[in-house]
Amino acid sequence: MIARKNIIAMLLGIELILNASALNFAAYTKFVNNNLDGHILSLFIIVIAAAEASVGLGIVIRFFQLRESIHIDDAATLQN
Amino acid sequence: MNSTVVTYLSQSKEFTNTVAALSKALGFDATSLVAFVIFFIGALIVVGALATIGGLGTYAERKISADLQMRQGPNRVGPYGILQFLADGVKMILKEDIIPAQADRFTFILAPFLCMIGVFATLAVVPFSSGLMLSDINVGVFYLVGMASLVGVGVFLGGYSSNSKWSMLGGMRGASQIISYEIPATITIVSIVLIAGGLSFKTLINGQGGLPHEWYLLHNPFAFIGFFVYFIAALAETNRAPFDLPEAESELVSGYHTEYSGMRFGLFALAEYIEVFVVCGVAVALFLGGYKVPFDLGSGHIFTEKLGLDSMLAQNIGQVLELGAFFTKTLLLYYVVIWVRWTLPRLRVDQLMTLCWKYLTPIALFNLLGMAVWMYAFDGKSIYSIIFNSAVSAAGHH
Amino acid sequence: MTIGGAVAVVYSHNLMHACLYLLASLFGVAGLYAVIGADFLAATQLVVYAGGVVILMLFAIMLTGGTGNRINRYGLEKIASMGNKKTYFFAGFAAIITSLILLKIIASVLRAQPTNKVLAANDVTVNKLGVLLATDHILAFEISSVLLLGALIGAAVISRPRKERHD
Repeated sequence: MIARKNIIAMLLGIELILNASALNFAAYTKFVNNNLDGHILSLFIIVIAAAEASVGLGIVIRFFQLRESIHIDDAATLQN
Repeated sequence: MNSTVVTYLSQSKEFTNTVAALSKALGFDATSLVAFVIFFIGALIVVGALATIGGLGTYAERKISADLQMRQGPNRVGPYGILQFLADGVKMILKEDIIPAQADRFTFILAPFLCMIGVFATLAVVPFSSGLMLSDINVGVFYLVGMASLVGVGVFLGGYSSNSKWSMLGGMRGASQIISYEIPATITIVSIVLIAGGLSFKTLINGQGGLPHEWYLLHNPFAFIGFFVYFIAALAETNRAPFDLPEAESELVSGYHTEYSGMRFGLFALAEYIEVFVVCGVAVALFLGGYKVPFDLGSGHIFTEKLGLDSMLAQNIGQVLELGAFFTKTLLLYYVVIWVRWTLPRLRVDQLMTLCWKYLTPIALFNLLGMAVWMYAFDGKSIYSIIFNSAVSAAGHH
Repeated sequence: MTIGGAVAVVYSHNLMHACLYLLASLFGVAGLYAVIGADFLAATQLVVYAGGVVILMLFAIMLTGGTGNRINRYGLEKIASMGNKKTYFFAGFAAIITSLILLKIIASVLRAQPTNKVLAANDVTVNKLGVLLATDHILAFEISSVLLLGALIGAAVISRPRKERHD
């Protein structure tokens, strides 16, 4: 749980979490299975994380252009 | 096991004798210890050799540019000015190390090291010759691409941490250039991997032969186009002319390494020259037949059969020939790179990006498709084998 | 190195430094992949993450100017790290206890099974991965390609320059 207020820092934390889960899946093939299923899932996790990072950062940049800040509390209201 | 320097050396009797003697002396199996020591020494040799090549690259650049511009170039230090790079190195080391007061110290110090680490890490897989590569990992080419992107991070951090407008602009342009041109380069590499069937450098080079008609360059019209795409993309990736906007000497006052002085700047410049060498080496390995010597001299079998030499000695001679072939081809490409720098004008930033995204990437994708179709339709044969086979079968029918 | 990098990401005050620690941690994870024999995965991790995502993060930090220490309207520091010493102490303690419990469970499981189920050393995993991707997991492959297409278009649309609205 990353209790920071900066949106980009939260994205960094999300990357860490995704990496950890991908590592877990990759280790699965070494110790339990013999047919590379975990590797494939790790590959897909990397792909998904990359896609999510890019879209997330796009959103952050747009948010910054609107609100001039990247503090998460400024995103608390749904109105303009 | 992946074949490495150690597996090559372990074919010789002296090596196994040494390992056995060491094991007896130390009490435990000395194989991995000897392997580690050999890797360490090998890494030092490779790094030293390539640092020298980087330095000589600066000298070569000045001489070749002088030749192109009808002047002399450095000719005072040593015979024909060949020690010029040592003089430059000494000058850089002795310069005062200035760190701007407002700069971010940690990233400022880290950025040139990131560039250097990225470049030196690629040296581990560059195929110098079949036995003397430091290691031939299964994903060789891919690993190299990954390390080249690390250089991009270094460039960006260099620009950012200098805390000056010009460096910042240069850094951002440099990083965006590097990541954009990774894409056509990687797609072209993938299209060559399609022919070879594997990502390791050994597989890629073993699919080619010694003579030009067996190279991947002439395998296929798509590979031919791919060579030029890869060459241009790799030139742009190393921030080398005509794409050297990040270090545009006349525009951005040297761009992302404006604020660096002395040895730190030397690290950036050295990283660039070595990266050009590595990229030329990769182009040679992918397209020009790597270290393969014509008439299969490189494997040493001919020496064993014809001259009756000891197998290890014959292999060593073959290795030296392969090394020579690799370096000849790479240095030829290096010459072309320097030639291009001093011949073509610099591209503007938007022209650069247009070139990448509107031209090179579609061409690379089209190449990949075409290559896949070719492999499927012609069962992986090159143009020459198709022409020869059809000619032979046509001649055989009559 | 991986864990150190991850802890440093959480703990550092400067956002730029946090990105660099993320880079270190990603390198550590790539190394761990290589240790368990997943060489293609390690190289992919390097290319995609260390090359792409980190540069993306750095660009975003640059474009949003997140490295200044600004005070928001509540008077709190904006780029604070995660809590104070007590938080770390409890988190570390919980981590150690969790890992001990997990180790107990895993050890009993491992002892019950024969240990010859590891991957054959240095098989050509790229080939096998490719075959598997194209045969067993083709649906996931296609879906992920659509996802990437969606991400590409989405990112491009979001970052388009807006037309000025005249109210």
